Amino acid sequence: MSFFDKPALRPPIELRMPVWSRGPEDMVPGVVPVALLVARTDTHAVLIDGLLVYPTGFDFDLAVRRHPRQPRHHRHHPHLWDDQLRLEVRFADGRTADNGPGRWPRPSGDHLPDPPLLYQSVSGPDGGHVWLWGLPPPGPLTFACQWPAEQIPPSQATLDAGLVLAAAARARTLWPDEASA
Amino acid sequence: MSEPPEPPPEEPSEVEYRRPAWVEPPADMVPGIVPVELILARTPQRAIGLTGIRAYPTGFGCTLHLRLREDIPGEQSNFGAFNMFGDGVDPAGEFADYYLRFGVGFADGRRATNLNQRHDFDEGPAPDPPTLWLVRWEGYDRLAWEVSLWVYGLPPPGPLAFVVEWPARDIPESRVEIDAGLVLEAAARAVPIWPDPPQR
Amino acid sequence: MSFFVMPAWQPPTGYRIPAWLRPPETMVPGIVPVELLLARTDTHAVLATDLRAYPTGLEFALTARPHPDQLQQPRHDPDRPHRLMYRDLWLELRFADGQTVSTDPRRWPRTFETNQPDPPFLYYHGAGGSERGWRSPHWLWGLPPPGPLAFVCQWPAGQNPSSGVEIDASLVLEAADRAVPVWPTG
Repeated sequence: MSFFDKPALRPPIELRMPVWSRGPEDMVPGVVPVALLVARTDTHAVLIDGLLVYPTGFDFDLAVRRHPRQPRHHRHHPHLWDDQLRLEVRFADGRTADNGPGRWPRPSGDHLPDPPLLYQSVSGPDGGHVWLWGLPPPGPLTFACQWPAEQIPPSQATLDAGLVLAAAARARTLWPDEASA
Repeated sequence: MSEPPEPPPEEPSEVEYRRPAWVEPPADMVPGIVPVELILARTPQRAIGLTGIRAYPTGFGCTLHLRLREDIPGEQSNFGAFNMFGDGVDPAGEFADYYLRFGVGFADGRRATNLNQRHDFDEGPAPDPPTLWLVRWEGYDRLAWEVSLWVYGLPPPGPLAFVVEWPARDIPESRVEIDAGLVLEAAARAVPIWPDPPQR
Repeated sequence: MSFFVMPAWQPPTGYRIPAWLRPPETMVPGIVPVELLLARTDTHAVLATDLRAYPTGLEFALTARPHPDQLQQPRHDPDRPHRLMYRDLWLELRFADGQTVSTDPRRWPRTFETNQPDPPFLYYHGAGGSERGWRSPHWLWGLPPPGPLAFVCQWPAGQNPSSGVEIDASLVLEAADRAVPVWPTG
């Protein structure tokens, strides 16, 4: 008889991110075939890249690029929105979402927040990673940004939302026969 | 009265350290994008997808999507995502079968895999392309991870293969091929962010 | 033919602590059968414990413990007391031939990390603990000569005269003779 008894299995207790803050876990997204240059100054550029779309929303990289000859300035960790790269996404029907503070919905059971909702999961001097909850209606989809601390004036660029919707249609469920109804 | 010409700008006292071309894409270009969504492997429990090839003249980036269908009781699993790219685990050692293997194969036989990751990769002379480098990984939880990769070097025309293997997880060597022409055309669509400045 | 080729094994290139700053890696020590109380106040005590001797030197732990009643007191910051309390705890060893060594870093030769110093040399590998106790591994490079061997500490810093304990160095030297290699040669 063995000295060791295997302990009982413990189910994982990892906290799950809310469904409106990330893409569905059982899907591979569709790709939007363009990268968008939203802002450009002599020293900086802001790029929307890596647009990956699901039926519930889309991921993208918000990338800050510096001109190769531009020295990097060390700055204190920004804790004011004024110090950070501000991003707003605008749908053709007028709805908007931005990465400003104070917009975090309070969890209340199964109630899902109204789209659109912008969640920036990574934030730093080179930009970050963003998830947008909700898909845009057909028409122009506008990305607007500004960064006063780095002298980037209000700037914007527009994408045809049809590209996003077409990419959403290409997203694939990985285990379709086990998908919950 | 005309103003005297501006003095030339001073050399910056602190020049930003630029990481070499085999570690990251050119920062001053907008990529061309290949709109592929590939599923490299799928079992009842796991799947590995690859999307969003972003091409530049020096190479291409892509995103691996690692998916677990549901939590498996008793299993230690971050997909081996950190084991996937070094982090102290020897891919040829006693845990070799648990090491998620990924690579790209060019039509001329050259290949790059994640089995030779070195911590000092960004120092030293330029390696022979192609090389593979982990740029970033992001995970929401145990079920889903995104791994961002950079392949240094563009493929020659012909098939371009993406290969995975994960013996301990019942994923045999599996490959999906696309036409390298898609990547080369996308690389040709990459544009500089800052056009050449006018002569002062 | 497999797509994946396993890389060749490469030997580890990690930094190794120089031999004069640590016990020999391939020996089993001789145990010195004493535990030493070096200093005591109403609330805390400082001890030298786990003395292990090798042909090249002596390993031991400098430990500090609060009186059990101290643990019942509510603390604003459980970390702060022990960090500050032991910050200036320096140890000095005094040999029968008059030599002394100390862990006060101001008394270490500047190049001790790269150039082997002449024995004796007293080194410590950091320290760690909590409000329940604090422990710092020490290494004396070079064995003491026969005769008295004193462990002296000045703690609390600047408040009391230094206090310590004297033992017979032969306890250490005999233990060093009992040390054996793990893999016998020949």
